Amino acid sequence: MIIILAVFLILVLYDLQMFIREKAQIRVYIIYGFLMTVSLVVSLLIVAGKRPASPAQWIEALFKTAGVIK
Amino acid sequence: MVKARISSIQLFLLFIGFLYGSTVIVNSALGAKNDAWLAILLGGTVGGLLVGVYVSVAYLNPSKTLVEILKERLGNVMGNIISIMYVWYFIHLAALVFRNFGEFIIVVTYQETPISIVIAIFAAIMVYAVNSGVEVIGRLSELFVPVLPFTVLIICMAVITTHDFTAFSPILENGIKPVLKAAFSFITFPFGESVAFLMLFPHLNKKENLKKIAVLSIISMIALSLLLFFRDIIVLGSEVIYQATFVPHLTELLFPGISVEQLVDINLLIGGEVKVSICIYAAVRALSQVAGIDDYRNLTTAITTFCVVLSLWIYENVLEMLNWAEKVWPYYSIFFQIIVPLLLLFLSFIKKNKSSKSTSSNAISSS
Repeated sequence: MIIILAVFLILVLYDLQMFIREKAQIRVYIIYGFLMTVSLVVSLLIVAGKRPASPAQWIEALFKTAGVIK
Repeated sequence: MVKARISSIQLFLLFIGFLYGSTVIVNSALGAKNDAWLAILLGGTVGGLLVGVYVSVAYLNPSKTLVEILKERLGNVMGNIISIMYVWYFIHLAALVFRNFGEFIIVVTYQETPISIVIAIFAAIMVYAVNSGVEVIGRLSELFVPVLPFTVLIICMAVITTHDFTAFSPILENGIKPVLKAAFSFITFPFGESVAFLMLFPHLNKKENLKKIAVLSIISMIALSLLLFFRDIIVLGSEVIYQATFVPHLTELLFPGISVEQLVDINLLIGGEVKVSICIYAAVRALSQVAGIDDYRNLTTAITTFCVVLSLWIYENVLEMLNWAEKVWPYYSIFFQIIVPLLLLFLSFIKKNKSSKSTSSNAISSS
């Protein structure tokens, strides 16, 4: 868990200094923040052994409900 | 305005690398067992027509990316919604290739290394390649993709002494249905996935060569797939290749005297690199165009990190991955690979006809 936090911290700090230097648009911060937060939360859940239902399972369930696959 | 340019040969090699990609370890046509060669021919031909649709869309909308075409043809709201769905599709595709690659490496080569480490190292190289731009990805393909057919030929030649040419017969033992099913899978994986190239076509320096490049790439891919299938079936037989998880690995284990395992790893590294870099590039460019971000490089790390996490999250094990790729992926891909491109082609034709009619009527009235 600590390794994951450290990796994300390094990645975010490295990119953040680039964004500040290049005066990135506010949208960049929002999209970047969203993607990194989702990635961090999912990684921590996987490491903690509480793997959430994956998008593949959602998609499969959707197709099963629609009767596309059995 | 697109500034980065790639040459015809670079696009051709990118196409080959992309189509070959993870096909080296997961061949969707093998569902038809000893009739897979029929599925490859049938799927390859229809897949070629599908790539023809993408090329026609690019011709009718010169110098425009998929996102720009979607916005122009479907309006801003609908265009943006479908573009975001494509961003997800490209991310998902990249995650699948990451996982294929990671699973193969940890099962075959580095049994003691965690899959997350293998994928993360691979991803770091992808971030560098995508941030360097499409020209660098093109040059990398020029350097590495020509190695692919050579390694395939070397492995095929090494197997000459171990063969059973009766493995193909009887033809159509189980009827035509498994062949059609496998052909459909082969259309969606890998041919339909080349919809990602709609984000790359505007970079081609000589647009008139696009059709030629597409035709040559498809013929080369069909030839390579047939060669791989014939190699595997004459060594292993139809029942074994149907049941094996990583068929090329099993084939190479049976080679007398020499170890050619590394050649399959090289194939996968090169094909996987090309495929993942194109998927990530397409996703990052599409997202930055939807959000109106000037420099797509700002999002590369975030999207690649998400791809890595998704690749670990999406399946619990390799069997679930292969099962999903065989049963769900073809149907899931129909919307992205067939419905939307056909709709765009139809709308582009209507637009072209309207504009040509209005031009000719203007010419008549002015004369």
